[in-house]
Amino acid sequence: MGEETLKKILLTGGAVLTILFAMLPFTYMVATGLSTGADFLQQGQDYGFTLSNFATILFAESSHFVRYMLNSIVISGIAAVISVFCAALGAYALTRFQVPGGAVLMLIVLAISMFPPVSLVSYLFKFMTWLGWINTYQALILPYVAWTLPLSLWILVSYFKQVPLELDKAGLIDGASRLQILVKIILPVAAPGVFSTALLAFIFAFNEFLFALMLTTDFTARTIPVGIALFQGIHGQIPWGEIMAAATVTTIPVVVLTLIFQRRIISGLTRGAVKE
Amino acid sequence: MTSLSRLIDRLEDAVVRRTFLEKEHVQAVFFMFPLMFFILVFILMPVLGTLYDAFMRDVIFLEKEFILFTNFRYLFSDPGFWNAVRFTLLFVLISVPLELAIGLMIALVMNETIPMRGLLRACVLIPWAIPAAVSGRVFELIYNYSYGAANWLLRVLHITTEPVNWLGTEIGAFAAVVAADAWKTTPFAAIILLAGLAAISEDLYNQARIDRAGFMTRFFKITLPLLKPVLVVTLLFRTIQALRIFDVIYVLTGGGPGGATEAVSNFAYKYFTAGDFGYGSAASVILFLVALLLSLFYVKMSRFGEGVSHG
Repeated sequence: MGEETLKKILLTGGAVLTILFAMLPFTYMVATGLSTGADFLQQGQDYGFTLSNFATILFAESSHFVRYMLNSIVISGIAAVISVFCAALGAYALTRFQVPGGAVLMLIVLAISMFPPVSLVSYLFKFMTWLGWINTYQALILPYVAWTLPLSLWILVSYFKQVPLELDKAGLIDGASRLQILVKIILPVAAPGVFSTALLAFIFAFNEFLFALMLTTDFTARTIPVGIALFQGIHGQIPWGEIMAAATVTTIPVVVLTLIFQRRIISGLTRGAVKE
Repeated sequence: MTSLSRLIDRLEDAVVRRTFLEKEHVQAVFFMFPLMFFILVFILMPVLGTLYDAFMRDVIFLEKEFILFTNFRYLFSDPGFWNAVRFTLLFVLISVPLELAIGLMIALVMNETIPMRGLLRACVLIPWAIPAAVSGRVFELIYNYSYGAANWLLRVLHITTEPVNWLGTEIGAFAAVVAADAWKTTPFAAIILLAGLAAISEDLYNQARIDRAGFMTRFFKITLPLLKPVLVVTLLFRTIQALRIFDVIYVLTGGGPGGATEAVSNFAYKYFTAGDFGYGSAASVILFLVALLLSLFYVKMSRFGEGVSHG
């Protein structure tokens, strides 16, 4: 057998294993969400199909799932927009002006993004308590903006560097202010990059757990990861079907976004992590 | 004609330079302000606040009191803390190399021109995109003693006759945490390594093919040496992230059984919720210092890794 044939076999095997690795737990989650009982893999048990778990989490009076989902989408959405806007201003300054210590600042921001969240959360808790903001949207939105800013800044700087300075020059000659140039020329030109950045910031905020766990107390502002993590049955038995149905509904928007914008996400992540 | 256009050029330059000189510094401050504000108020201030709390007796319902290193002294003689440190280090030591190895294999597959490459890449991103708290819950079910998928697989493949008590035994819970975390974080490593692979010039491989070097030789003589800077950067990056593991453990094992899988973050959080902010902060400060040291190293490394770069 030639070495190239061996390579082909290894590649095909690798591709199949990769898909199984990524998709099996996901498929198991969806299958359990659609099952009458989570014990269908036990010996002597059959799989029964039902939509009732989905109906329960979406429509039952006692289920706060829809509220968690709404909280998550609003909080992460607003945080992503503010984060990208602040990062765009910063990235514009860093690529257009001679900001003193700009390069060092970028590195400091990079180091900041590595701080463990547990070293912030207790003080944030006290700060938000002092402001009277515990269990409100703003208690999560503001820290999420800060938390996603390093990522947003790094990605946007790398996109803005590719926008030719001649565009700024032309704008200045036409009498536009720097802010107008950023909003009317640079952002539209770099729109794909700006969009990927916002998408990544959204996913990062959507997935955040520790802040949301400590800064919310009930469904008023609780986000979906915390809602699902704390989801317990009332009667002792863990309601796996409902949990997995909730997990499925949570995952669908993220998976759809990922499938559609796979290319953008990969290029954004790569810019953010392995720098220029 | 040429002198006219030169004059226009010079005028242009003058306009631009004047705008630069007069307004640049003011504008730079204005543009940088929102960014700095958020980072100062919601990241740097909390970090300093935590540092301050670590030197205080800051227990709920008791008067706050400055006690210097007392929290740290207690911490260093607390077997629970050392247990959390030991678990965290062991977790990093095992899970990060495992993720890098699997991530590299996935990256190698994704880097080849194979049918449905886009679909493959999208599939790989799915575990990354799912919140860790949610995938933690899925793994909690997978490891269920009587009907979870893990024991089902072991049974149908005839690997074991008795079900494994995954979450009830120390070693089982450790393996469960490593596997759940690897599922969630390997895709990220794979994506970064893929960018590194894509940056390696195709010419090198073509030259090697002309020299009749097999794919194993090509991997060990070209791919691995050239990928080394990216591998090191990914290793550091993943180490820093693995050190702060919290979500998966909180959901999957709760630090159990008997504290066997309690990471430093979970240890600190436990004291926060118990109302002992001083002691929890002291533990966080230790974790923070280790992460800071590593991230300074990372910043330095990734600076040297230039040319490796981006997609």
